[in-house]
Amino acid sequence: MNPQAKRPVRYGATPEEAAFYRDLVARHGSPLLVVSREALRRQYQSLQHQLPGVSLYYAIKAFPHPAVVETLAELGCHFDVASEGELELLRALRISGRKTIHTHPVKKVDQIKAALRGGSTTFVVDNLDELKKLTPWRHRVGVLLRVAFRSPSAAVDLSRKFGCLPEQAKALALEGQAAGFQVRGLSFHVGSQSTDPATHVAAIEACGRLIGEINREARHPLATLDIGGGFPVDYAQAGFDFDAYFAPIREALAALTDDLHLIAEPGRYLVAPAVRAVSTVIGKARRGDRQWYYLDDGIYGSYSGQLFDHAVYPLQVLRDDRPRHPAVLAGPTCDSIDVIAEGLELPELEEGDLVIGHLMGAYTAATSTRFNSLNAAKVVVVE
Amino acid sequence: MKVFEETLYDSVSQCFRIDKLYYESKTEHQHLMIFHNAFLGRVMTLDGIVQTTERDEFIYHEMMAHVPLLAHGGARDVLIIGGGDGAMLREVCRHPAVERIVMVEIDRQVIDLAKEYLPNHSAGAFEDPRLELVISDGMAFVKECEADRFDVIISDSTDPIGPGEVLFSDDFYRECRRILRPDGVMTTQNGVPFFQLDEVRDTRERMGRHFRDQTFYAAAVPTYHGGIMTFGWGSDDPALRQLPVETLAGRLAEAGFTTRYYTPEIHVASFALPRYVLDAIQ
Ligand SMILES: Cc1ncc(COP(=O)(O)O)c(C=O)c1O
Repeated sequence: MNPQAKRPVRYGATPEEAAFYRDLVARHGSPLLVVSREALRRQYQSLQHQLPGVSLYYAIKAFPHPAVVETLAELGCHFDVASEGELELLRALRISGRKTIHTHPVKKVDQIKAALRGGSTTFVVDNLDELKKLTPWRHRVGVLLRVAFRSPSAAVDLSRKFGCLPEQAKALALEGQAAGFQVRGLSFHVGSQSTDPATHVAAIEACGRLIGEINREARHPLATLDIGGGFPVDYAQAGFDFDAYFAPIREALAALTDDLHLIAEPGRYLVAPAVRAVSTVIGKARRGDRQWYYLDDGIYGSYSGQLFDHAVYPLQVLRDDRPRHPAVLAGPTCDSIDVIAEGLELPELEEGDLVIGHLMGAYTAATSTRFNSLNAAKVVVVE
Repeated sequence: MKVFEETLYDSVSQCFRIDKLYYESKTEHQHLMIFHNAFLGRVMTLDGIVQTTERDEFIYHEMMAHVPLLAHGGARDVLIIGGGDGAMLREVCRHPAVERIVMVEIDRQVIDLAKEYLPNHSAGAFEDPRLELVISDGMAFVKECEADRFDVIISDSTDPIGPGEVLFSDDFYRECRRILRPDGVMTTQNGVPFFQLDEVRDTRERMGRHFRDQTFYAAAVPTYHGGIMTFGWGSDDPALRQLPVETLAGRLAEAGFTTRYYTPEIHVASFALPRYVLDAIQ
C-alpha cells in the first residue's frame, strides 16, 4: 500500500449528489458500499461491445455479492468460480452450474466434488498432478490448461503463481487426452489491472499458435481460448482511453481461427465502477502541520484493496471550500498502517462529513477484515 | 421459457422444458426441483441431475426390483437402500411372498416431498404393513445390521458424488454381503456406461471382491441420457442369473402381477452386455 501515492481527489458535489449520499447514510448508517445496478449493466454492455463474440464469465471473487451476480445473470453473464462458497452463492440464486467454469488451478478433491455437485464441469489445471485429481470424473469434465505469460504492466502479476510454461502446454494437452480427458482448450490470466494491451495481445497470439500446433497432433482439437481477466479501470482518472486499449486485443482475437469458443473472466472491469464507498469523518486531530481526519472505514475494511490489490482509489469530499490544508485520511482501527491517504490537500472537514471512494467494487469488501471487531461496511444496492 | 439443463457432463447436456414448477428447495447445500414436463410428467432433479420422471420410472424400478426378486425365487426379507421416492418399494410390495421390507433412506424430507409431489411413485406403498422404514445413513445401517438377515438387497442410490458416495464403496459391498443370506443377491444402480465407463470398472473391482458372481445387467431408461444404464449384480451363486425363461415366467405368474417393461425374456437378455462394457470389466 502506498498512502502517499498520487491520487485523484474530487472537491465538491452537485446538490443532487450530496443529497443522494446524505440520504443513504440517514437511512442505512455509515460506512456503506453502494452498488449501482445500472453502472454494472453499463460495464457489462461496454465489455460486450469491446470484446464481441467473447462469452463473459464474471470473476465472482472480485465482489461476491448476490445483487451483483443477479444483475449480471439477468444480462446473460456467465460466472468464473474458484471456491465452494462462490458456487453456493450461485445455487442460492438458482443460477445453473452450467453457466460456470471453475478456474482455480489448485483444488482439494472435496472441492472438485462440491463443484461437480454444483454443476460446474469445466476445470482449469496447469499440471499433470492436478489433472490426475480429476481422474475419477474424467469422462464428465472438460479441462482448460492454464498457460503462464508474465505481465510487466499488471498491478497484480498472476502468472508467477499459476500456469504452465507455453512449451509445456502441448505435452500436457496430449497426455491429458491420452488419459481420457476432454481437454477443451487453453486459458491464461495476465494479471489484474493490466494497463498495457500488449500483454493480452502477445498471450492471445501465443495461445493461437500453441492451439494450432497442438491440434496437428491432438485427437480432439482444442476449441476454447479463455483470455482471463485483468481488464483495467481508470483509478488515475486521467482519461484512460478504453477504445485504444481494447482495439488491439479485439484485433488479436479476430486473427484467430473463427471456430474457437472465446471466454473471458473479467472481475475488476465489470464491478469496480459499479460501487462507491461512503464513509464518515468520526474525529479529527491536528498533528504537526497536518490535519488528520479519522473515518469509519479504512485499510482493514473497504479500503483493504489498497493493501492487497495495490489500488489507489479516487476520493471525493462533498465540500469545495478554500483554503485547503495538508491532510491525512485515516481508518478507524488502532493500527498505524490504517491510513487511507496522506499528502492530500483538503478543505476543512467537520465531524459527520462524508468522504466518497470511487471505483470501489473490485477486491474491496472481498478482502476486508473484522479487525478491532468493527463491522464491515453495509452493502446497499441502488438502481 | 424456463428450461432444466442437466449438468452431468461438460460436453453434452439434455434439456427439459419446465412447464410448471411444483417445488424447489431453499437450502444452499442442495438444489432439488420437482416440475412438470408435458411429455415426461412429473420430474425430480437433484443438483442438476435427473433423478426420476413419471414417464419412464417404471423401466428402472421394475428392472431393479423384479430381476433379483424373481431370480431369487423365495425372497422373504428385502432391504432397500435409498429409494426415497417410494417407487422401488411399490415394485417390491407387488411380490406377495415377501414378508418384510426394510427401507433405509437418509433424508426424511425426500419421502415427504415424494408423497406430496410424486404420489404415483409410491402409489400407497408407504402404507404397506410389511414396511419397516428407517431414516438413517445406509452405510451405518448395514454396518450395524446382524449377518444373514436379507435375501435381496437393492441399492437405489443417487449419483456417486455427495451422500451417495459411500454406497459405491468397497466397505459397503462387504457389509451388504455379510448381511445377505448365502443364497441372497444384491443389485445396485450403476450409471450409464456410455458416458461413465469408469463406474462399471470401479464397481467390478470393489463389488467383485465380495461376491463370487459379480456382473451387470442393463436397460435403457430414456431420461438417464446416454443409452443403456447398468445395474450391478452380486451373489455367490452364478446359477441365479442363468435361469431359463420358463422358470422366471412361472415365478412371475405365481406372483400374479403384470408389468410394463419387465418380461422373463428381457430378464434373461439384460445380462448380455455390449463388447465395450465387457472390455472395461475384463
Ligand atoms: C483466474 C482468474 N480469473 C479472473 C480474475 C479476475 O481478474 P480481474 O478482476 O483482474 O479481471 C482473477 C483475479 O484474480 C483470477 O485469478
